Amino acid sequence: MDKVTRERGVPEQDLQRQERFEDELIMDLERDQFVAETSRPVPRATLGARATAGLWALRAFAILVSLMVIYTFVHQLH
Amino acid sequence: MATSEAAAGPGLALPPLTEEDVARSLDRSRVHHARRHRKRWHLLWLLVGPGMLAMLGENDGPSMIAYTSDGAQYGLGFFVPFIPLLFAMSFVCQEMSMRIGAVTHRGFGELVLQRYGRAWGWFGAGDLAITNLVTLVGEFVAIRVGLAYFHLGSGVAVALGLALVAFTIGGGRYWRWERVVLGMALFNGLFLLAAILVKPQLGAVAGSLGFTPLPGGSLNTLLLLLASTIGATVTPWMIFFQQSASADKGMTPRDLKHGRYDTGIGAVLAAIFGVGALVVGAALLAHNGSGIQGLAGAGFPGALRHAAGGAAGAVFALGLIEAGAVAILTISASTAYAAGECIGVSHSFNTSPRNAAIFYAANIGVALIAAAVILIPGAPLLSITLNANVLATVLLPVSLVLMAMLANDRALMGPWVNGRTTNAVGIAIIAFVGLCGAAYGIDSFLQTIHLVG
Repeated sequence: MDKVTRERGVPEQDLQRQERFEDELIMDLERDQFVAETSRPVPRATLGARATAGLWALRAFAILVSLMVIYTFVHQLH
Repeated sequence: MATSEAAAGPGLALPPLTEEDVARSLDRSRVHHARRHRKRWHLLWLLVGPGMLAMLGENDGPSMIAYTSDGAQYGLGFFVPFIPLLFAMSFVCQEMSMRIGAVTHRGFGELVLQRYGRAWGWFGAGDLAITNLVTLVGEFVAIRVGLAYFHLGSGVAVALGLALVAFTIGGGRYWRWERVVLGMALFNGLFLLAAILVKPQLGAVAGSLGFTPLPGGSLNTLLLLLASTIGATVTPWMIFFQQSASADKGMTPRDLKHGRYDTGIGAVLAAIFGVGALVVGAALLAHNGSGIQGLAGAGFPGALRHAAGGAAGAVFALGLIEAGAVAILTISASTAYAAGECIGVSHSFNTSPRNAAIFYAANIGVALIAAAVILIPGAPLLSITLNANVLATVLLPVSLVLMAMLANDRALMGPWVNGRTTNAVGIAIIAFVGLCGAAYGIDSFLQTIHLVG
């Protein structure tokens, strides 16, 4: 935004909005879309003990039922 | 990755550019142009893709055979409303997947791995690899069944599937890949055409929407039907695929509305075409439909020729070829995305094969392995096809729970986290899918070891 435009009475709010949009887009991409940005790992989440236990229980259950399905499938083949 | 440094202008430092950034920015420039000039239909055209591909890709060979089998065994009654209900469930899951991809610009595999630890990431990738491999075998079987109608064999099915994978990944652009596969996916409408050709009684189809008695038979048969039909509409690969494809396409939070349109259109089309396959099967109900089911769909095109004419049989066979072919492309892509994300290497169709060797190798490699399986003499292909959907249903709840956790992660999603209604519906879906899959797995196992009759 040049100084002349500001002095012509364009509402400050509109100028700020336009500047923000231009800041966000580089080569039509948002800054966090660049490979350089997405290559940075996101921080690790801290899961509570109950959430962790719940996830492991669900995982164990899924593996157990999968083994049952696979056993049944193999048994049916014979 | 090939990179170059450049300056964006005064005060703005440009991040190191890759060929992936350049290709994606070209696609995004068209989106911004359409949005600035209020070209609504053009904007919709530019932004549809991942949702339609996930939904129509899931109307794959085993799924369409499952719907046709349902119709051939039980008629329309229960399934005409059940299939749209499942696609409504699928819409809820896939909308979450699209939203996470558009907001974080990352795929499901890498987010799970980075946010919750390597074990969860690799478990998810392992689930995906197993279910995708089994499903891909089913896709080649579907193509083979379709081609058999035209007196062509397994070799042609394998060559066709692999040639399509090689052709579509050769362009080095996500946009090109998406448009080619999307164009092919629209031929899923062949199942609707086949349904019209069998001349169903429209009153019976409309009437079955109102009253939905559960189909008769044993508890195990009913559980198998539920598990395999759920596995025909909501699967782990769809979650991996749509999130990664939304990120690869370059979608942002500004595109969420169109992402929902894309997913919704895909769900509606997939439900219509799925019901089309069901109607085709129901036409065989009076022609020993349950006997044909025993061949896992291999006899459907021929049976249709006898029941409804050569055109219906040929269109159905072409539909099976299309369903298998499109699913090979989308499922291979989801495997490639997951492999690249978990190993931590480039994973984009916007990168050339030279710079994303693992991504492209995984894409064609998984298709090659599945193709090799169907060439093994005496391999239990039909049993594999029947069990593919069930295995996907059993393994799905873990992926759904992790996806729901990501969609509720305010640090990642900011203001785009799940609302209360979405969470309530999501929990109900996870519970329903988990119960159906587990009930079938446990009941079948107990019957197999003769603990229940």
